[in-house]
Amino acid sequence: MRFRPRNVRSRLTLWYVLVLASLLALYAGVASLFLFLSLREDFDQNLLQDVETVEGMLTKEPNGGVSLHSSHPGAAEPRIGRLIEVWSPQGSLLYRSAELQDRTLGGPPRPDEGLRDPSPSTTRLPNGAPVRLASSVYHVEDQRVVLRVAYNEERLWRELGEFGQVLLLGFPIALFLAGFGGYALARKALAPIDSMATQAKTISAERLGDRLSIETPEDELGKLGTVFNDMLGRLQTAFDQLRRFTGDASHELRTPLTAIRSVGEVALQDQRSPAEYRDVIGSMLEEVDRLTRLSESLLALSRADAGHIQLQREDTSLVHVAREASSLVEVLAEEKRQRIDIEGNAELLVSVDRLILRQAIVNLLDNAIKYSPAESRILVRVQSEGDKQVSLDVVDQGPGVPSEHQPYVFDRFYRVDKARTREWGGTGLGLSITRWAIEAHGGGITLKSEEGRGSTFRISLPLAKYSSTSQTKGGSQ
Amino acid sequence: MRILVVEDEAKVARALREGLEREKYEVVVAPTGEEGFFLVNAEEFDLVILDLMLPGRDGLQVLATLRKRGLQTPVLILTARDAIEERVRGLDSGADDYLVKPFAFPELLARVRARLRRGRVEQSPNLRLADLEMDVVTRKARRSGQNLELTAREFELLEYLLRHKEQVVSREMLARDVWKETARATPLDNVMDVHINRLRRKVDEPFERKLIHTVRGVGFVLREEE
Repeated sequence: MRFRPRNVRSRLTLWYVLVLASLLALYAGVASLFLFLSLREDFDQNLLQDVETVEGMLTKEPNGGVSLHSSHPGAAEPRIGRLIEVWSPQGSLLYRSAELQDRTLGGPPRPDEGLRDPSPSTTRLPNGAPVRLASSVYHVEDQRVVLRVAYNEERLWRELGEFGQVLLLGFPIALFLAGFGGYALARKALAPIDSMATQAKTISAERLGDRLSIETPEDELGKLGTVFNDMLGRLQTAFDQLRRFTGDASHELRTPLTAIRSVGEVALQDQRSPAEYRDVIGSMLEEVDRLTRLSESLLALSRADAGHIQLQREDTSLVHVAREASSLVEVLAEEKRQRIDIEGNAELLVSVDRLILRQAIVNLLDNAIKYSPAESRILVRVQSEGDKQVSLDVVDQGPGVPSEHQPYVFDRFYRVDKARTREWGGTGLGLSITRWAIEAHGGGITLKSEEGRGSTFRISLPLAKYSSTSQTKGGSQ
Repeated sequence: MRILVVEDEAKVARALREGLEREKYEVVVAPTGEEGFFLVNAEEFDLVILDLMLPGRDGLQVLATLRKRGLQTPVLILTARDAIEERVRGLDSGADDYLVKPFAFPELLARVRARLRRGRVEQSPNLRLADLEMDVVTRKARRSGQNLELTAREFELLEYLLRHKEQVVSREMLARDVWKETARATPLDNVMDVHINRLRRKVDEPFERKLIHTVRGVGFVLREEE
């Protein structure tokens, strides 16, 4: 099983320590190498000097052998670790330090030994101990001898080992301190996250107005906090809309229900003629019809919100769709002796679900007809907006929408004049559905209006070749 | 003509029974899926009206089992609007037609008539009521021998009412069959009212006997007596 610390703090510390440890190991390796090289340099230097010293001490014995004598007291003392062999060029051993016992520093000399490169080399004694060996050729009186001096490398290695020990002792301490420091650092760096989490826990659906406190908006965590706060803001808006929507919906349901109830109760209070009963029942059925339509509209919107409505897109002339919409409702305009004029280039194509877009335009035209005075003119104008967008304006000469109402006209159940719209049998959802329809097509809808000077609803849609071919899913709020 | 109504909601079942009996159908009501299943196996029916949301065994299961057993009786399903997929499943499992709740009764009657008529030779409807007559080929409408000047939409509307003479026609039916609109939005209702009013002015106003009647809260009907 892999070891995986649970919190970021420990993970950060662990990584930190691991990286530090490998860096230290690399450092120790390089340092040891350099130390070794420089120690051996000194070692060799000593050895070479010693060779000269030993040369001076060589004395010929009467029996043909060689011995060591020195004018300096103590110099002839056998130095610990200093091994000496003296050979005749013919290969007979003339002298050997007692320390060597019967081991040899390499047997009889090679013919060119000691004549060339004086630098020492490493060799091994028969028992495997590594020694540093230097050879030279020397004349003791008239005799030519080959002198070998060797130092046991043990000393060299011991010094290196001591250095290593110091390092090894220091490493864990350094790592421990670094780990501790790293942990403290990570803790300090991550502390704002902890406090954010604590604050976020207290923010519930009922207290969406709360925000995280951000001390440093510039740094990474501050940005995270800001993003989180923005998201809370959007959530709050959504919740508020939902709450208002639920309230409005229940109000809209209650109105027809109240009518049904009171009409029925009053009718039952005394005897009436069948014709009167018919009238009562008819009146109740009218309210039922209103409820049915309301539930259908709500369902359509909720399906749209859930993205369940698939658009059947086809490339269509926006002007043609506008004409279709207009031909559907033009009788209503005729009744008020209004005129619907459609202007624009019929070659501007949009990729839309014809039925859904037509319904959206019908809703706008219906609004315009309702609010405009008799004998006025309603203008539908299609024009390109730049080379990627096309807009459709529905311009009426009605009373306009007061500016304080304008931001809300597309909200569900929002009514500018509550009594009047209901009288016309509207559900208060027409413009919401229109907005959904336009946004589902990747477009937008805006209202420009001045009180007393008419309203202009503007639909903007991408031109056919620029609209995305993928199926756009609905969802307006 | 025997119709089996499988519907658990007592009020709806009773309304269906009374409404259909008034149209001279023989109606048997089954309040559960099991009972409906039993009845349809035991007796002969010309049509089954099946609610999809039933306690116990649900409507779709009943239907699927029946079809598996080779039962040919036409089945009309009643379902809620938010179940488009359910509708598709319903038609897959052998339903002949569906109706969305809350449905208008005239609509149900129209569907029932259409189902029961199917398979028989359709007699060409006599497009004539009292002194009103229509010729769909020449697209002429006459009353008492006088030509009526109708627009295309008015002609279609009158033709639809005449084809369904003496039957109440709901607004949903008009929206779907005359205006070919899937969603019945508020503007369309107003549009219908305007057209009906215009039609009245041309068809009824100059004459003694009124033929176009509004059934408040339900729809419109073309018939002779008040």
